[in-house]
Amino acid sequence: MRQDAFSNYHPAVNFLFFVGAIVSCVMIQHPAYLLAGVIASGIYYLLLNGRSGWKTIGALVPLFLFLTVINPLFNTSGVTVLFRVFGRPYTLEALLYGVCVASIFVVMMLWMGCYNKVLTGDKFTCLFGNLIPSVSLLLVMVFRMVPNLIRKTGQIGGARRAIGKGAGGASLKQKLTAGVTILGTLTAWTLEGSVMTGDSMRARGYGTAKRRSFTVYRMTAADWGMLTVLLGLLGTVVGFAIGGSMTATFVPQRSIAPVSGINLLGFAAYCIYLLIPTVLHIQEAIWWNISRYRI
Amino acid sequence: MKKIKKSTLAMLVTCLVLIPLTLYLGTFLSGRSYYITATLFIIELLIPFLMAFEGRKPQARELVLIAIMCAIAIVGRVAIPIPHVKATFAIIFISGIAFGPETGFMIGAVTAFASNFFYGQGAFTPWQMMAYGAGGMLAGFLFKKKRLPRNPPVMAIFGFFAVLLWVGPLLDCSGLFLMAPTVSFSWIVSYFAAGFPINLSQAISTVVIMLVFGKPLLDILDRIRRKYGMQENEPEV
Repeated sequence: MRQDAFSNYHPAVNFLFFVGAIVSCVMIQHPAYLLAGVIASGIYYLLLNGRSGWKTIGALVPLFLFLTVINPLFNTSGVTVLFRVFGRPYTLEALLYGVCVASIFVVMMLWMGCYNKVLTGDKFTCLFGNLIPSVSLLLVMVFRMVPNLIRKTGQIGGARRAIGKGAGGASLKQKLTAGVTILGTLTAWTLEGSVMTGDSMRARGYGTAKRRSFTVYRMTAADWGMLTVLLGLLGTVVGFAIGGSMTATFVPQRSIAPVSGINLLGFAAYCIYLLIPTVLHIQEAIWWNISRYRI
Repeated sequence: MKKIKKSTLAMLVTCLVLIPLTLYLGTFLSGRSYYITATLFIIELLIPFLMAFEGRKPQARELVLIAIMCAIAIVGRVAIPIPHVKATFAIIFISGIAFGPETGFMIGAVTAFASNFFYGQGAFTPWQMMAYGAGGMLAGFLFKKKRLPRNPPVMAIFGFFAVLLWVGPLLDCSGLFLMAPTVSFSWIVSYFAAGFPINLSQAISTVVIMLVFGKPLLDILDRIRRKYGMQENEPEV
């Protein structure tokens, strides 16, 4: 089972989820919510990336620590002074705020990592193809061109090696001139081709009518359902946020809204929202294994 | 009555309504909302440029040409196998010089956006699009109508300062708003100072590429333009 269940929803659903998750993680600096964000984004990132996901998470840890300890050096306000650095106070409040800022950064990086796996180039052009037709056509052409050009680069390099002009093991200067020559050849070659492509496109009627784009994605009943659920949960979170149940300030004095009573409802809505892709992924994995055993 | 062009309208709406509204509403939001506000601001700034491009109804030839230049700017990393020497900026600048500010902007912005599909999108994507696009536009603007002579040393000097003082700091802004706990003067200074060595190394590699590759690439582009009679409405420079 290599498919992610959430990725099978319509691109609009995927896009909405990530916009909601990322914007809310930047706006809400309440520790409980941040912790939920770290856990949900971390699990989903690992589910999407498998073992190689640990590498990214391992790289994020030192960055997290660095951002945490550096904040009190710039921000000296706070009541509890831990010690002094060059005569400037290093306060507990600023340190806690550093933890908060660093976790926002980490959560954002992780959600972005998930976004890259879920919202691929074709999904993006499907979403915005009608809004910016020329630009999305450009994007599609670039996506196709890049592997093509990499192949051509290899071909030019091979041809140069065959006539004894290979750059293997040469000095830096030789490497540079060889690279530049290859790049020049590549440009001249592909640009000639581009004019042909352009003329061919025009001959086939490009630009004579409004462009429509083909997509394989359709909004099904399940997509509408998921969209409603996501919007409902987001609405609840926004409502509670306006009500002040997610406010937290650190400097100069700590004041964090308690997560209890009615506020628990907002927190639960936030957690459910963030965990939807993870739950779908795990559910799919379980179903897959059950049906495999039935065979 | 003369009809107002759609792109002009978009520019006016963005500058007079959308951006002030974003900044105004941003002051009401709590938390680290200035990151959201700043990123929205950048995205809104991109809208008029994209609208202008769409409104121009670009011809097939021009579209393919831009796509090729973007792809070459991305592939430049593969062709020159020396670490830290990236041809991306140089190629964007030279395209701007050859095809003018508008096309230069599109090539820069699309290069940034498309390359992030290969190397990973991030919160910095809109900033990167703006920075690369602005770089291509500046190159096109400064070298248009022989304002600056098109010889490799001048192009190299332009490339050096454009990366160091224009594109690099614009890119740093995205990290600044994302990582800075509070946007204070001391933090801004230290952040840009931390980014300086990276910008400097990028600027130097741009200079090297401009000196070695500037003239040949410009010749290739000019030759293609002359050979196929592209952008005939622009005076030959």
